[in-house]
Amino acid sequence: MILGMVLENEIQPFFDWLPRAAMGWAILVSMLALAGIVLSWLVLALRGDPWSALAAIKRAVIYGVQDLFGLSMRRTLALAWLAVKESIRRRVVVVAAVFVVVLLFAGWFLDPSSANPARLYLSFVLTSSSYLVLLLALFLSTLSLPADIKNRTIYTIVTKPVRASEIVLGRIIGFVAIGTALLMIMAALSYVFVVRGLNHTHEVALAGLEPEAGASLTNGKTGAAGRWKGSTAKVQQHRHEVRVDASGTVWVEYDHGHRHRLSLAGKWPPPAGSRVVVETGPPEGLLVARVPVYGKLRFLDRNGKPTDKGVNIGEEWNYRSYIEGGTMATAVWTFDNVTEQRFRRNDFPRGLPVEMTISVFRSYKGDIDNGIPGTLLVRNPRTGLEAEIQIFRAKKLTGDVHEIPWRFRMPNGGEKDLLRDFVADGKLEILLRCLEPGQYFGAAEPDVWLRASDASFAWNFFQGYFGIWSQMVLVIGFGVMFSTLLSGPIAMLATLGTVSIGLFSDFIHQLSAGKALGGGPVESMIRIVRQDNLSTDLTGVQAVAAHVIDKVVQKGLAVVAAAVPDLGRFGYADFIADGFKIPADLIARQTAIMLGFLLPLLIVGYILLRNREVAQ
Amino acid sequence: MQSDAEVVIETRNLTKVYRDFWGRQKVRALKALDLEIRRGEVFGLLGPNGSGKTTTIKLLLGLLFPTAGQALVFGREATDVTKNERIGYLPEESYLYRFLTAEETLNFYGRLFKISPMVRRQRVADLIEMVGLSWAKRRQLKEYSKGMTRRIGLAQALINDPELILLDEPTSGLDPIGTREMKDLILRLRDEGKTIVMCSHLLADVQDVCDRIAILYQGELKELGRVDSLLKVQDVTEMKATGLSDDVRDQIQQLVARHNGTVLSWGNPTTTLEELFVKIIRESQEHPGRRVQDTLREQDNQQVQETRQANV
Repeated sequence: MILGMVLENEIQPFFDWLPRAAMGWAILVSMLALAGIVLSWLVLALRGDPWSALAAIKRAVIYGVQDLFGLSMRRTLALAWLAVKESIRRRVVVVAAVFVVVLLFAGWFLDPSSANPARLYLSFVLTSSSYLVLLLALFLSTLSLPADIKNRTIYTIVTKPVRASEIVLGRIIGFVAIGTALLMIMAALSYVFVVRGLNHTHEVALAGLEPEAGASLTNGKTGAAGRWKGSTAKVQQHRHEVRVDASGTVWVEYDHGHRHRLSLAGKWPPPAGSRVVVETGPPEGLLVARVPVYGKLRFLDRNGKPTDKGVNIGEEWNYRSYIEGGTMATAVWTFDNVTEQRFRRNDFPRGLPVEMTISVFRSYKGDIDNGIPGTLLVRNPRTGLEAEIQIFRAKKLTGDVHEIPWRFRMPNGGEKDLLRDFVADGKLEILLRCLEPGQYFGAAEPDVWLRASDASFAWNFFQGYFGIWSQMVLVIGFGVMFSTLLSGPIAMLATLGTVSIGLFSDFIHQLSAGKALGGGPVESMIRIVRQDNLSTDLTGVQAVAAHVIDKVVQKGLAVVAAAVPDLGRFGYADFIADGFKIPADLIARQTAIMLGFLLPLLIVGYILLRNREVAQ
Repeated sequence: MQSDAEVVIETRNLTKVYRDFWGRQKVRALKALDLEIRRGEVFGLLGPNGSGKTTTIKLLLGLLFPTAGQALVFGREATDVTKNERIGYLPEESYLYRFLTAEETLNFYGRLFKISPMVRRQRVADLIEMVGLSWAKRRQLKEYSKGMTRRIGLAQALINDPELILLDEPTSGLDPIGTREMKDLILRLRDEGKTIVMCSHLLADVQDVCDRIAILYQGELKELGRVDSLLKVQDVTEMKATGLSDDVRDQIQQLVARHNGTVLSWGNPTTTLEELFVKIIRESQEHPGRRVQDTLREQDNQQVQETRQANV
């Protein structure tokens, strides 16, 4: 069973998002610059007099502009080369070796017989590569510059016509280069590991196939006509059902998320008493990049009238909304742009796949074994023409793939074509109803989607590594920036802190907005000590004090949360592991965010290093 | 050296105060230094440990920022990196990347300057040849001895064919032959019209190569001038003679022998720099905050006269 993805935040188209984001970025960066100038003026003014402080800042700005124009690619690349050389001589290649060892051991522990082995394998390789690379980035980027300053090798650099910006940029480029090389090695190893780890074939003994019940045998036991069925040999703890229909076409059914191809050309029908054994092709459908086409969801209530939401069954997580069974209550998805080019008939000969994840809520126990019956229909949004796709049964949270036939045989005779008769202006409606009274189906917008022709899995996999790469670039950026000011271990801690905040960004945002259950940090601390539960109100003086302090801390957290990128968003592992194409809009947005952080980091790093006495 | 040559280094009231984290004053490392160094000079900065000579060099290089006053190199602020195009710097110890080979080191530093790759490669080869490390050019610096690192450090300082060379303790860690070669090289660079500023503890070396010296003590300038004039003791006569007749020699010898001595030479004797240096430091300790020159000279003359009288 493969469930669809939970998408709580809709991904905005990149070019809708960009202008507002860029504006916000510009405002934030200028505010930061202004705050920096005012703060450094205050510090300088406290040490000397206000006017000389002003002069010093003016000079720093002039130098900054000069250094910007003096930036030389030749020197930057020379320094990048140095960083690469340093990394290599520090034997970072060992990391690649560690990765190989990890993969070797993983081969023992990853169970290819699990229900969804692809997910297991993919999320494992992606997670382990990302941890290894991020750790490496952390060490390389934070320790290098402080070591140079401590060993005074920096003296021989800064007494050459080298700008501070080139030192910072050169290091970032160098470490990114070495990280990229390592990541590419890891990606290649992972790809081979996953493909080989999941690859298997089954043998089918033709003599083991038996005539399906009710099928007539025209040619006796070895006849060609009639339907035959049986199963493949067991490999990796599973076997597939095999059917051979009257025309001799072979179907190897889906199991464990994949199927195989089997050709019986020249071998069917098998002569009497033969022991012919046929081998299936490699697994198909395990490593895919499905392209989901999401629709817009609306609800009809039990009388068939439009309503905002379905029924709330009392779940705290109001991601899914519910429809009542045995009534007119319906969940309606409207899909745009349903065209022949997007859904190629050749890719899906059996019908247009519609994938569905629904949650079942029972108001009484009913028949547990059989599940709740429901129906899925297509409707033409203009003419209202309806046809049933399938009646299905759903137990708890169920993921299911149905195929909308390209041609419908209507109850009144006649045939209707899916694209011609049910699609109006490119729009198609899919309706979900629950058939058993008193039971409920719950669904969210991303729960029912049409599957367009697949994208390339290898390319999707590569893009997943690009996500890890973006995370790595950010870690290196922060690491180098901190290392211009702090000593090695402290810079490492600071970067580690930043990465942690970045990975738990959602929680920090909630906390800073005062939305976290149990209040702010101080209030939570009091609750922990007093073993209070999260929902009672705090009372007394300490409650007031805690609220006041929390308000201040929350403001600080809000600033921190804004200054740290949400690193978790760069992990595209879920998409790949679940077999979805990573949305291009998401990649574009995250890449823009990465660059948006990198530039200020570079500038801050430059300012810190330029105004630092490296000889002290 | 002509006094109208271009001023390469100029410091005005250059002061450096080291502060702690809170901005409190810790040490006054350099007090109001005024210096002018002109093109073509070999200038020596002398002083005991902690006298401020390395601080001065670091201020000139922009490694430190002045607390007050100005340090100008080629007429530009010392913190302006563009001046570095024309500067070569040999640090106190060779702070080089130990994971690079000699060739890689020079190539790397060369790429930090605007030099065409062809010229750079040629220069790298020449410099390695010059410092006599051709046999070890493909070995990582961590395998180098101290003397070898020193040599490659020097080569690194010359990679851009600089006009101004700052040498911090250039002869430390070198064997006598190496020291000699270093001194010869400094003189050769001077002959090529380069300006050299060096600081050193090894006074004999300074005496051998420097045109002018400045002696610093506790951050203050104590003595500044030409080496030959500083070391000359004006009213002492020194004689060095040959080919005198036995008669005359006898007379002189008898005369000297009567005073329990032997005559070797006749002329203006010079003291050694070491002696001068020790005297200045002692004087500074006795009379802090005073420029030494005048008192010292009086004292010096007095002492010489006393010696002479005693001898007579």
